[in-house]
Amino acid sequence: MKKLVTLLVVLLAIASLFGAGVKDTQASSGPITLEWWTWDPTMQEENQQIIAQFERQNPGVKVNNTIIGTSEYWTKIRIQANQNKLPDVFTMSSGYIEEWAKDGLLYNLDSFVQKDDTFDIFYKSIFDTNKAISNTDSYYAIPFALVTTVLYYNKDAFDAANLAYPTDAWTWNDFRNAAKKLTIDKNGDGKIDQWGYWFYGRYAHIEPWIYANGGRLLDRTTMRFSPDKNAMDAMKMLTDLVLVDKVAPAPKDMSAFQQQDVFPQGVAAMWVDGSWFVDTFRKKLGNDMRWGIVRVPSGPGGTNTLTYGWPDSYALAPNTKHPEMAWKFARFVAGEGIGLDTYMAGKIPSAKKLATDPLFSDPNQQPGKDMDLLIEQAAGPMTTSYSMGWSEWRGYGGSEALGLNGMIDAIVNSLMSFDEAFKKSADSINTVLKRLYK
Amino acid sequence: MRHTPFRWYSRLTPWVFVLPTVIGLLIFKLLPIVSALYLSFTEWSLIGSPLFVKLGNYAELLSSEAFIRIVRNTIQFSVVYVIGSMVVGLALAVLINVQIRGIAFFRAAIYLPVVTSAVAVGIIWNWMLGPTYGVINNLIEAVGLTPPYWLADMKLALNTVAIVQVWKMSGYYMIIFLAGLQNINSDVLDSARVDGASSLQSFFRITLPMMISTLFFVLTITIIDSFKNFELIYAMTKGGPQNASNTLVYDVYLNAFVYYRIGYASAIAYVLFFIVGLMTIFNFYIRRHFVESMD
Repeated sequence: MKKLVTLLVVLLAIASLFGAGVKDTQASSGPITLEWWTWDPTMQEENQQIIAQFERQNPGVKVNNTIIGTSEYWTKIRIQANQNKLPDVFTMSSGYIEEWAKDGLLYNLDSFVQKDDTFDIFYKSIFDTNKAISNTDSYYAIPFALVTTVLYYNKDAFDAANLAYPTDAWTWNDFRNAAKKLTIDKNGDGKIDQWGYWFYGRYAHIEPWIYANGGRLLDRTTMRFSPDKNAMDAMKMLTDLVLVDKVAPAPKDMSAFQQQDVFPQGVAAMWVDGSWFVDTFRKKLGNDMRWGIVRVPSGPGGTNTLTYGWPDSYALAPNTKHPEMAWKFARFVAGEGIGLDTYMAGKIPSAKKLATDPLFSDPNQQPGKDMDLLIEQAAGPMTTSYSMGWSEWRGYGGSEALGLNGMIDAIVNSLMSFDEAFKKSADSINTVLKRLYK
Repeated sequence: MRHTPFRWYSRLTPWVFVLPTVIGLLIFKLLPIVSALYLSFTEWSLIGSPLFVKLGNYAELLSSEAFIRIVRNTIQFSVVYVIGSMVVGLALAVLINVQIRGIAFFRAAIYLPVVTSAVAVGIIWNWMLGPTYGVINNLIEAVGLTPPYWLADMKLALNTVAIVQVWKMSGYYMIIFLAGLQNINSDVLDSARVDGASSLQSFFRITLPMMISTLFFVLTITIIDSFKNFELIYAMTKGGPQNASNTLVYDVYLNAFVYYRIGYASAIAYVLFFIVGLMTIFNFYIRRHFVESMD
């Protein structure tokens, strides 16, 4: 019996040593597998090339890419988060950084950012925009691209009206005067064929004007909807373009259009929206129309050097088993290891070497040297209106007809007065914010 | 040797065949239904654990003006859709219940919208109803009238979407009505004609009463279908303007998959469940008191 007990003890000891040895070997030299989730199905081929390159440079590392279309991405990745099974590296939207950081679902990147030469390689301003969006003092996401908002203008329409092209020095008055001259009934049937400007309540149509006038929508200390005078002035100026100046159509008159088609179809001569439409226009318009981009005109209360822009980013799972390698891969795929050809035109790479690549402002493609503006914006100050519940109170995507978007549309569609709409907006938006910021 | 039929049969055998379906129903239907009931008493964004809030979501719903409007919209949409689909479906069935050359083409053409993607239908109708270049408004203007803003007018938007849904789905009900019409014994109609009944008299006094089972069946499925209005609303109005075309189904989508308020969305879904339950009781009532006696 004694022999049997001794034998068992020896066997257990050997087994535990063997087990520990195996564990140690796995931890030190075993293969590392990283899960990488993205939301753009058109990038499948490019993603595989990026992975192949990264795996070549990092033997023993394997990266699996899962692509889920944007419509399902957030539902699926939330379920992953709920199950503590977030992928090591995943695409992160500016709209959710604050909520996810608060819920402890994003790896705090401060130690990596401080330790590495991060800001030699990437624009600090874009990282800082992410930090501001997270409403914390830490970096929770590594941006791979920035999108900003710009004023698009139709050079052919300006030439036909014998007008000088817009400049970054334009004021609201310059803009309004040009819009008046560009609003034309071409065939004399009493209907406007070309409007000076086009907008509706969309975030990318309204906020750029508010920030270029030094305004704000939210009081960040109380986290309540509290548009200041500059913000209200900007929104009044915009709604007056439809209701008083009659240089922009009411959204109800454009309901048959996809909003992004009004400008390229020549129905409006100026338009403010995201810089990613550079890619759309290059592909759709070619050289059928000559167009350019400038900063959104400054208002009397501010300056247009403050840009409304937001990054697209990668984040790391808080429980990733390989944080160093995940960070290394995230840096690689955020621009350090990839080429400009993997970027949609108009999205500004956060990696300086890509943004300063001469091909970014390719003179052979529209809008040519105007693209330098985007680099200037990337290096300058930026702001956004993101908060928790932003989709709900702002009215975005499926809720575009509601929230603040719906209220601004109600004003310009003559369903509500300006004052009535903003009183209602304040009540309903603050109901949402009070629920989320108790 | 005498062959014993069903030697393999035991009392458990039927359960073996039924089991896959039962398991499927339990996992994919019953479990989500029960889970949704529990979730309707919680606050949950899919992240973390649901927070129990008792009747908080229901209290918020009932105190929300927007929600009351959405319930009203849902019922209005349902009424327009049920009446529209039944009248148009029956009218189309009567029209095509003839044996003429090329009738198969018309039957197929009328049925085509049923199998067309609702999003495509929504986009095309958006173009046709467009105030500036839309063909419908251009026709109205051509006869000297001022066309309305079909989708931007708060009084019209919901009915416009409901009518487009009627246009899309009438072909389906037409086929069912057509089957009902063709089951009517032609001798009865011939006798009526010999006795001097007019076409209208024959239709209202013979055809319709003899189709009561079909009418009831179509009434039941149109009521069910009337709540499935998500796609067209998404493609045409996104619930606007100012919630004027928002319905319970669309509001469930917004709260569950845009705002990630799963608990609140589940509460809305249960209000919808309650309304559908009432409609079902109403259906049974009609069946018991009218249909069975006329059958």
